[in-house]
Amino acid sequence: MNTQEPKKKPSPPSWSTRFLAWFLKEDYYEDVQGDLEEEFQLIAKDGRIVRAKNWYSWQIIRLFKPSMIKKVKPQDSIEKETSMYKNYLKIGLRNLWKYKSSTVINVIGLSTGLAAFVLIALFVKDEFSYDKHHENAEQIYRVTVKNYTRDGDLSRHWAFASAGHATRLKDDYSEITHSVRFFPWAFPDIINGDKKFPGEPVIFAGEDVFDIFSFNFIEGSPETALEDVFSLVLTESSAIKIFGNDWRDQNIVGATVELSARGSTVPFKVTAVMEDMPDQQHFHFDYLAPIRFLENFFSENAMNNVGGNYNWMTFIRVSPGSDIPALEQSANDEFWDKYIGTFQSGAEAKDFYDFKFQPLLDIHLKSKLEGEYETNGSIDQVYIFSIVGILLLLVACVNYMNLATSHYSRRMKEVGVRKVIGAFKSSLIRQFLTESTLITIISFPLCVFLIIWALPYLNHFMEKQLVFNPIMEIELLLPLLGILIGVGVAAGLYPAIFLSRINLVQALKGEQAMNASKWNFRSWLVTFQYIVTIGLIFSIAVIESQMQFIRNSNPGYQRDQVVSLQLQGSFNLETFKNELLAHPDILKASYSSRIPTGRLMDSWGARYFQGDSAIQTSFRLPIVSVDKDFLDTYEIELLAGEQFRDGMETELVRDSTGDGFITTPGYYTINSTAAKAFGFDNPNDIIGTKIAYGPTEGRVVGVMDDINFESMHTEIVPMLIVYRNNYRRLSIKIRSENIRGTLDFIENTYAKFDSESPATYNFVDELFNNQYQKEERLSTMIKVFAVIAILIGCLGLIGMVGFVIETKIKEIGVRKVLGASTQSIWMLVSNRFLLLVGIAFLIALPISYYLMSGWLDEFVYRTNIGVFLIMLPVLLAIALTLIAISYQTIKATRVNPVECLKDE
Amino acid sequence: MKEYQLGEFEEIVLLTVAILHEDAYGVSIKQEIVTRLNRNVSVSALQTALRRLEKKGYLKSNFGEATAIRGGKRKRYFKVTKAGKSALDYTKETRMNLWSAIPNVTYEYARA
Repeated sequence: MNTQEPKKKPSPPSWSTRFLAWFLKEDYYEDVQGDLEEEFQLIAKDGRIVRAKNWYSWQIIRLFKPSMIKKVKPQDSIEKETSMYKNYLKIGLRNLWKYKSSTVINVIGLSTGLAAFVLIALFVKDEFSYDKHHENAEQIYRVTVKNYTRDGDLSRHWAFASAGHATRLKDDYSEITHSVRFFPWAFPDIINGDKKFPGEPVIFAGEDVFDIFSFNFIEGSPETALEDVFSLVLTESSAIKIFGNDWRDQNIVGATVELSARGSTVPFKVTAVMEDMPDQQHFHFDYLAPIRFLENFFSENAMNNVGGNYNWMTFIRVSPGSDIPALEQSANDEFWDKYIGTFQSGAEAKDFYDFKFQPLLDIHLKSKLEGEYETNGSIDQVYIFSIVGILLLLVACVNYMNLATSHYSRRMKEVGVRKVIGAFKSSLIRQFLTESTLITIISFPLCVFLIIWALPYLNHFMEKQLVFNPIMEIELLLPLLGILIGVGVAAGLYPAIFLSRINLVQALKGEQAMNASKWNFRSWLVTFQYIVTIGLIFSIAVIESQMQFIRNSNPGYQRDQVVSLQLQGSFNLETFKNELLAHPDILKASYSSRIPTGRLMDSWGARYFQGDSAIQTSFRLPIVSVDKDFLDTYEIELLAGEQFRDGMETELVRDSTGDGFITTPGYYTINSTAAKAFGFDNPNDIIGTKIAYGPTEGRVVGVMDDINFESMHTEIVPMLIVYRNNYRRLSIKIRSENIRGTLDFIENTYAKFDSESPATYNFVDELFNNQYQKEERLSTMIKVFAVIAILIGCLGLIGMVGFVIETKIKEIGVRKVLGASTQSIWMLVSNRFLLLVGIAFLIALPISYYLMSGWLDEFVYRTNIGVFLIMLPVLLAIALTLIAISYQTIKATRVNPVECLKDE
Repeated sequence: MKEYQLGEFEEIVLLTVAILHEDAYGVSIKQEIVTRLNRNVSVSALQTALRRLEKKGYLKSNFGEATAIRGGKRKRYFKVTKAGKSALDYTKETRMNLWSAIPNVTYEYARA
């Protein structure tokens, strides 16, 4: 620029001028540009060329405003456009009709892909909507308590708090404006006139409950609902249950019903009726009554207890903007010191307890504490589903792109002719986008149909009440339309750009514009599909193999044909058991406080004696009360020592310890993990050792084999069983023949002893399987969606192979003429695909291996990812490919070479 | 009378066109405003005002000669129409009416 001859006139920047010409109204252009140029020259004359140029461009940019800009579209052009779109639609529909098979493949692929995506989206959206309806949801926290062992390890994290926490926290901290505790007391019978409803779950709640949670009242008001001690709040369904379907006409607010439990009957007044609690809430109550009522039954100590007895679901509401971590910290620093201080043993209470204030909105997806009120969802599951859903949608799009481009050779001449007549690239792109949107629009009704058809199955399976009604719900319809257009554009974009780029001469000559063996974008698309397919197959294989591992694994006890009966009333246990055992099909029976597949909740501190000195243990040692037949009934192996004998339940251990006195019988059997934890590698050595367990002392009489008492998610922990009447369940081993008859017998016998409540029982193997229900569900759902993805992928693959063969049809013809066998042609086609499978394998495997080993880490006892599991997806992918290739190749090689070589 | 409403800048442009009489085109109008009022004007603002005045019927324009410095583009000369003249008169008159209506007391307050 600077080397220009000095005499030459400087000229304004040409791009600015072009910009001006582009946007400025035509009849303004001449004089305005003239003015600008004149002034530019005036400034430039002084030698300030750069300044002049800047000034010139700047003035033009400032001219870019509505009053100066051309009218965008003159009227006649819009008409032209619409008529072109009519033409695109017509051609598009004709093409869809002409290539019916690929249309069907496309429509099926897109509609199932989209339907599966929407179903997953519904599920994910539902999972994320939990507890959001409460007005103050952001300010509500659940008070949970962590317990620590003597060593400072976390032993249990409870979802509930103690009775006295709610009021004390509210009184002590100004940030906490409201607090509420819930307690489900006694499940009383509800009596309305002559109708009796046994064992209804009445929940007693603190008075702040309606200030914290937002429930919708149908009758009555939150202010007055719990004013009186004897008031009862119903929900719509419990109102229907107690008062019948016409409860609204009965004016039930003010009506009296009686609550009866533990021998006393108290009249309660119905003060309000609420709507049923929404499904998207992490707890559901049907009856609420004021907690003050319980003061009649519980001692003041029990109502104000601050340590242990975590049965009180407790929530606080804080003032907006409170610093929760700081609040938690100060509660942990002060609360335990203030209300408990030190234990008798001299240990400080604050070392053993911690508060954790858990945000209400996190509970459903992120909380897995001891004693959750209802089964919560899992954020991992939501993530896994989201990933699968997005993959499905991507696979469907990619599939469409593949198929659409693979048909390009058929459309090449059409594109060529259009170009010759004068079609712009943009109008060609518009045409192909119109066609691909057309496909999505055709897929849409099918997709809606599929969603409506599949939703009940999904709901049933996931125990959800998801609703899909696109006409009613505009908020769901709009994103759906967005997805639809998005998919249309995404799916049409690549073929649109690709086809519009074809070289005109080549297109009309009928040459292959693109060499099929070249590595290009479409190869990446196919590879992507392989990656998804291989990844999903691998994931299914790992999940299935873990589930298989669990189903076949030996938890150390016999769980088949064992019925576990709940004990409700009180009656003579011995007689009951003997009466049952008299039946020929009942083999064994044993009472216990807990059964395998349950949780190990109760535990005391333990010490063991070496000579006269007691050694404190630091590990947690949970206890289960059993009778003498427990090990027999569950066929648990005894490694050392002896079984419990008759009499051991009452016989006192005779040793005197000098200081302590022994009031409870103390014969213990421990598991081998416990023996090792006590320091005895050989179980025989610990037999006879004296152990102090909680307030009692006793001797180890037996060591039993380790069993997976809890699920395989957790490690086998030390445990202790004792022969002591604290029974809550009866486990009955029955013969596999005539199960129905045996169950009837059990029910009838139970009814003789406990006339109040019906017999409630479960099969232990079912309970065992229920422990892994979440995984079972996950694996089934992933299987279903993965199979859909794989099927869509296969459809695409068949289309792709067809395309490759079509582009190579002449090559195949020539080869055949020269004497090539079907086999060698088969090799020719498949080589390329096997390469893609290989690349996909290398990409997919590390990713899915990483993800799945993360999932496996949730299990303590788990399967290994072996060579077979790794090879399986590849072998399957290869097999699927080869089947598709063989089919197409055989079809191609059967054609007489003359057919494909004659035209040129 | 509403139809005679003129914006402040429009008034200046209209007056300048009147001053320049037969020689009013984009560059000259701009320079006249710059020299007389010591006020910087962008091409965009000027053009907008000119076109608006023309639309209102206060100005009319026709193409004049092309010069080399303009890259061969013709000038567009502007002339004040009868309506434009009336608008200027009207504006001036209303201003004068306002001026004369100010009582002397106001200035004393202002001084204080």
